[in-house]
Amino acid sequence: METDNTLQRERAPHLADQRALVERARRGDASAHRALYDAHVDRIYRLTFRMTGRDDLARELTQDTFVRAFAGMQGFRGDAAFGTWLHTIAVSVTLNELKRRKREHARQAPLEEALTISRSAPLSDPVLRDRLMKAVDALPEGCRTVFMMHDAEGFTHEEIAAALGVTPGTSKAQLSRGRAKLRVALAEFAEEWKP
Amino acid sequence: MTDFPTFDDNHGGHDFGEDADVVLPTDPEFDAWIAAAAPALNVPPTTPRLDMWDAIQAAQQTSSAAQAGSIAGVTSLRRPRWLMPVLIAAALLIGVGIDRYAIRTTPEPRVTNPQAVASTPTQPRAGAARDSTDPSGLYRLAAVQTLTQAEALLTAYRANDVATRNPAAARQLGTWGREVLSSTRLLLDSPAGDDPTLRPLLNDIELVLVQIIRLSGAPLDSSERVLIDGAMRERALLPRIRSAVPAGVASAASDE
Repeated sequence: METDNTLQRERAPHLADQRALVERARRGDASAHRALYDAHVDRIYRLTFRMTGRDDLARELTQDTFVRAFAGMQGFRGDAAFGTWLHTIAVSVTLNELKRRKREHARQAPLEEALTISRSAPLSDPVLRDRLMKAVDALPEGCRTVFMMHDAEGFTHEEIAAALGVTPGTSKAQLSRGRAKLRVALAEFAEEWKP
Repeated sequence: MTDFPTFDDNHGGHDFGEDADVVLPTDPEFDAWIAAAAPALNVPPTTPRLDMWDAIQAAQQTSSAAQAGSIAGVTSLRRPRWLMPVLIAAALLIGVGIDRYAIRTTPEPRVTNPQAVASTPTQPRAGAARDSTDPSGLYRLAAVQTLTQAEALLTAYRANDVATRNPAAARQLGTWGREVLSSTRLLLDSPAGDDPTLRPLLNDIELVLVQIIRLSGAPLDSSERVLIDGAMRERALLPRIRSAVPAGVASAASDE
């Protein structure tokens, strides 16, 4: 997982190049839009997929993120990295969409059913997998987002903090709280992590 | 200001649960286990780059076509830059026109004492200038209304130290400030802005209003207050506004 993220970070253009790209994109240069998309799309799609567990939803949210970003380029002041700004938009559109879907009961399968787990160790027990899915879904929204971004997708606390508009300390504290809640929910499987 | 919204707590507007600030015990063994298990949750497939790029381009083209008004039945949301100031100016002038009409149709107070009639001065009344159909008189009246609003806003700002520490109150102050700023800028661009005594005053009001609005997105800290207070004091803003607005006219203007 870390390898994937490292590769994606390496694929992102250097800061100076990125500033130039952003400036061109601001002027409506389509090739700059494409270059920014190529540099960041993997991480945005992976993030939205991690948070929703559905390919169709992740595609829709990734597209929405880029459409909004390109339409709002004039509002991007360049105080932060473009990627960080994109993550903020992606998290925002994803959480809003999940809330909307929950409110409208439009989705037949609740979030926990949409969560998919690979059968790799240490989740070989189907009962444990099911309980973990339910426990993750039961976490408060912010807590779940921090947990998925950090533990599942490998974001740093600084990146999470920037995307959520919180301090890195809050991100660390919420990750710790999320893990503690999961531990309580999975207490009967304690032999899985006890030596 | 940054590219990101600011929030009044350390939760960034997110739901971390009702017990968000409660510290829970940790278990390093579980933490290591869950950190190893979590990457298996919702493992993303290969990114469908081309499909999504095509959809993004299509959305951008549709958006551009809609904004250009080239899609039948879709009205462009993009307005020329000059339109909004013109609409505001028109609204201001219509307001002044209604004001003038209301003043003309208000019946004169009935005087029952003939002696009072005899002693009525022949000089124009204080409000006689308002009866003038001279356009500069109308601008003067609009200026009085704007100055009255500015005075009320600055007085509220200065008097309410607590409100500026409250984000909601600070935002409210900012919204009010924007309204007054619009009127102030319209006046500056109108013939009233040529008035050598009025123009410097309107410029100073504009400066302070911009400071108040700029800082209204978040609660003002003491140093920001000192900045605005200093600007108001150095420019003697409130005394100048009060001396520019004739006594009695202000209350009448703000009542209308």
